[in-house]
Amino acid sequence: MKMDRKQSYLQQDSLKSNPFGLPEGYFDSFPERLQQRIREEESSRVAVRRIGTTTRWLAAAAAVLATALITTSIIRLTNSDRGTDSRYPDMAILEQLQVFDDDRYLYDLIEDNDAVNLNEDDAFASQAIEYLAVNDVEMDLIFE
Amino acid sequence: MPHWEDSEIIKGFRVQGKQEKAFNELVLKYQERLYWQIRKIVLDHDDADDVLQNTMVKVWKSLANFRSESELYTWLYRIATNEALSFLKQKKKKSFAPWMDVEEQMADRLEADPWFEGDEIQLKLQEAILKLPDKQRVVFNMKYFDQVKYEDMSKILGTSVGALKASYHHAVKKIESMLKDD
Repeated sequence: MKMDRKQSYLQQDSLKSNPFGLPEGYFDSFPERLQQRIREEESSRVAVRRIGTTTRWLAAAAAVLATALITTSIIRLTNSDRGTDSRYPDMAILEQLQVFDDDRYLYDLIEDNDAVNLNEDDAFASQAIEYLAVNDVEMDLIFE
Repeated sequence: MPHWEDSEIIKGFRVQGKQEKAFNELVLKYQERLYWQIRKIVLDHDDADDVLQNTMVKVWKSLANFRSESELYTWLYRIATNEALSFLKQKKKKSFAPWMDVEEQMADRLEADPWFEGDEIQLKLQEAILKLPDKQRVVFNMKYFDQVKYEDMSKILGTSVGALKASYHHAVKKIESMLKDD
């Protein structure tokens, strides 16, 4: 019995009545409020269009200028960040390296010659000392 | 004062200098019907007012391109329904309490709404309707409260009559079972 009553809930006419209320005079004032909103939207759209047509070329020129400025400043910045070596062109660096190599070669050569000379002198000196010692010559006399 | 015929409104809107008058006639003729269609979906009066304004602004912008292939009122109902459903979707996205369903929030608001004049059973019915999927809710409202014919509903919602009948049948079953459980 209870279920039958509940099953017919949606068939009750009272449920079909509108349960929502409204502020008084809502539909009287709505058309005017709507016209106001449309006028506002239209005027803002016209303003946007006017700005678009009059300043189009200026905006394009400004964009090109800005791009050029940004590009050059980026190039400058990246160059100043590099070390001193990087400022030399590649050929200059190679020449520099060659000079260093030549210097090093010369240094090695001198060093080797000295070593040979020194060895000969030392050998000669030791031979002389040996000879004088064998022949009983006083060392003090030689140094004097 | 009798309203203009739909054909007069459409013709008038295409005449330079007569646009505002024709549009005003459209608003006067349809504002109330569209408001209630929207209000039953969004429930809150202020939300319904926003959605009705958005609907009418869209109509103002696109009425010049309206093709008379469909009837004016089905076109207006379609815009109003879509606007109301997208409003709810936006509301779900912007929800301040994401742990709570928007439907739950709407039910809570309805209880405290000074513009809700229904009794306890009507409140329970609205809460049950809120638990239905969006499309089923729209179909139920149109059939149950406004007795819109399935053929007209089909033109408005772009769904076959058979699918609408099935949708309404499911909605009624769900609501009855929800009311029984309470």
